[in-house]
Amino acid sequence: MATTSEIELPGLDCGLCGFPSCDEMASRLNEKPDLLKRCIPLSADSLGVRAAPPTGESVSATTPFTAPVLDPAGGSCALGGDCGGCATGAVVEAETKKTPRVVVGGAGLGSGIERTWTDHLGREVDFVLDSFPEEEGPREMVIPHNPVLTRELDIQVGEVLVGRPLGISCGCPVTHCGIVQSVDTKNCTLEWCVTGPLHPRQQGFKDIGYYSAQAYEGLIKARRIDVEIGRRYWFQPRMCMMQWRHSGLVNYMNHTDDGIQVRIEGLWIG
Amino acid sequence: MDSRIYFDHAATTPLDPRVRQAMDQFLNGSYGNPSSMHAAGREAHAAIDEARADVAALVGAHPGEIVFTASGTEADNLALRGVLEGQGAGDHFITTAFEHPAVIETAKYLERLGVEVTYLPVGDDGVVSTASLASALRAHTRLVSIMTANNVVGTIQQVHELAELTHRHGALFHTDAVQAAGKVPLDVSRTPIDLLSLSAHKLHGPKGVGALYVRSGVHLRPIIFGGGQERGLRSATENVAGIVGFGRAAHIARSEMGAETARLVGLRERLYDGIAATIPNAYFIGDRYRRLPGHLCLGFAGQEGEAVKLLLKLDEQGIAVSSGSACSANHAGEPSYALTAMGLDPIRARGSLRITLGRGSTQKEVDRFLEALAPTVQSLQTVASHSGFASRS
Repeated sequence: MATTSEIELPGLDCGLCGFPSCDEMASRLNEKPDLLKRCIPLSADSLGVRAAPPTGESVSATTPFTAPVLDPAGGSCALGGDCGGCATGAVVEAETKKTPRVVVGGAGLGSGIERTWTDHLGREVDFVLDSFPEEEGPREMVIPHNPVLTRELDIQVGEVLVGRPLGISCGCPVTHCGIVQSVDTKNCTLEWCVTGPLHPRQQGFKDIGYYSAQAYEGLIKARRIDVEIGRRYWFQPRMCMMQWRHSGLVNYMNHTDDGIQVRIEGLWIG
Repeated sequence: MDSRIYFDHAATTPLDPRVRQAMDQFLNGSYGNPSSMHAAGREAHAAIDEARADVAALVGAHPGEIVFTASGTEADNLALRGVLEGQGAGDHFITTAFEHPAVIETAKYLERLGVEVTYLPVGDDGVVSTASLASALRAHTRLVSIMTANNVVGTIQQVHELAELTHRHGALFHTDAVQAAGKVPLDVSRTPIDLLSLSAHKLHGPKGVGALYVRSGVHLRPIIFGGGQERGLRSATENVAGIVGFGRAAHIARSEMGAETARLVGLRERLYDGIAATIPNAYFIGDRYRRLPGHLCLGFAGQEGEAVKLLLKLDEQGIAVSSGSACSANHAGEPSYALTAMGLDPIRARGSLRITLGRGSTQKEVDRFLEALAPTVQSLQTVASHSGFASRS
C-alpha cells in the first residue's frame, strides 16, 4: 500500500472530502492519514483502503439485528403457530432472516404473494385479504386501550387518527394512520380505513395511542384453498407494511362479483 | 416558532433567485417558439442553445449531446426504452435493486415486452460492487443502468469502474445522475458513460425540466413522436423558460460546486456527530463517507415503527425531513425496496429517516434541528419498553 506522501490526489477540488481543495486536504494528510478514506474520486480498491463502516455499535448498519422469536420447538400454542406474539414458549435470540440478496426478474420487489403463498418470513398463507374497491385502505375495527378516548377526543366520522396496535391481538411495530368510518360510543369501538401518512400530514389528526385490532373486513380475491365460515385461517392483508401473515376466524362470508366478502375476528399476527 | 427548516433537498430544492431571474424574461415577455424562423423564435432558440451548453458543461459533454426532456423520469424512460424497446425478446438488461422507480418500473415494463432483466444486489454499505456486475454481464447484455448516487441512502456508486466494465463487454452504460449532478464531479469525456439522466429541480432549478446526455454515436429510438424537436428524440415545443432556468442552475452548480460541497459535507458531519452523541439508539445507513455531501439516512433502533409520528412531530416544529421509505398503505409491499435491497431487515427498512441538506442550509439550522431531534425521538413510544434508549434516557 502506498504511503500518504506518495499518493496523488485527483485535483478535482470536488469538496466531497469536506475540504474545498485537494491542496488543503493534502496539507492535512501527514497529520491525519485517515482522512484519505474521505476522497471518493480516488479508487478505493487501488489504494487498498475502504471507507470505514459506520463507527460504533449503536450506529452500525452492519450489526446483525436480533429480534426475539418463539422457538418452534418450545411450548405449544393454541394456534399452533410461531407468531411470537404471546408470552408462552421459549424465547430465543436469532439473527433476523435477511432478504435474498440476488433479485432476478422482479421477484423480491414486492410483487406476487400469490406466486409463493408465503409472507415476508417465508410462512405459508391461505388467502390474501384485499380492501373494498371503493375504500381508501383496509377496513379495521379497533378499540383504544383507553376506550374513553373515543368519547374524550370526540372522534367523528371522516377524521384522521394515528395509533399503534399493541398487545394480544396484533403487536405490529408500525404506527398506523386511518380515516374513521364509524364510531360506536356505547362500546367505544371505531371502524377506520388504514391509509398512509399523507392524510395526517395534510389534514391534521387525533392520536389514540395504543389500540387493539378487533376485526378486519375485506375481500378475498386470491386464495389457494376453499374458505369456510367458522374456520381459522392464515391470511396476508395485502397492505400490511410488514408483509407478515395474520391469522383469524372467519365469521361472515358473502360471495360478491368482486370476491368473497369476509369479516375476520380473533386476530393474531403470525 | 422560528422560520421553517427544509432538510428534504433530495425530494426537491427551492428555486435559486438567480435562476428565477434568468427565467423571468421567458415567462414575462419573450414567448417565441424556438422552432419559428422569426426574431422571437430565434431569440428563444438562442436561449435554449446557451442553456444546452451550460447543462453539457456540468457533465463534460458536447452541447449537441444533450436532449431536453420534461423530467428526470422521462430521461430515464428515454434511455432504457430508447435502447431496448422494439428490439424483440431476448435482450438482456442489467440494473440494480435500488434504482429510482423511474428505472425499476421501466425495467418491469421491458420485462413484459420480453427483455430479460437482472437486478444486481447492493452491499450493506449501499454500494454496488463491480464483481456483481461482472458476474451478471452476458454476451447478449445490451444495456446496464446504475445510478450515480442513490436517492434514499445517498451513497455514491463506482460509476467509472462499472461503466468501463460494461464497455469491455460491448454493452451501453446508462446512469441516473439526478441526485448526483451538481454535487459530485461528473465528466463523460473521461468516464465511458453513454447515457446520463438529469433533472433541474434537484439542483435549485425549476420543476418540469430534465435532460438526457446521449453520447455521440449512440442510437436511440424516440418514445414521443411529433414535430422532431431535440434531434427527433423528444418531440414537443420546448419549455423555454424551464430550460433557461435549468441552464442557469447548471452553471451556478458547476461554478460553486467545490466550495459548496465542502460546506455541506461539514454540515453533514456536524449533524452526524451530533446525532451519534445525543441519540444512543441512532444508527446510520450506508457508507460513512462515500455519499452525497448533504445526505444522511438513519434510523432509531426500537422506534422504527414510529417513523410516521417522528415526521409529523418534526413537521409540527417546522422541520421538513423525509422518510427513507414512503410508508404509504397504497404501496405497502414496495416502499422499502431500496433499503431492503441493501439487506436491511423489514423493520429497519421501513423506519428510516432521510435528512438532506442544500444550498440554503446553515449551521444554525443544523444546530436547531439537533436540539429538536433528541427530545422528539425520546418522546416516541418504543416497541420494547426496556430498549437501550429508554433505559438510558
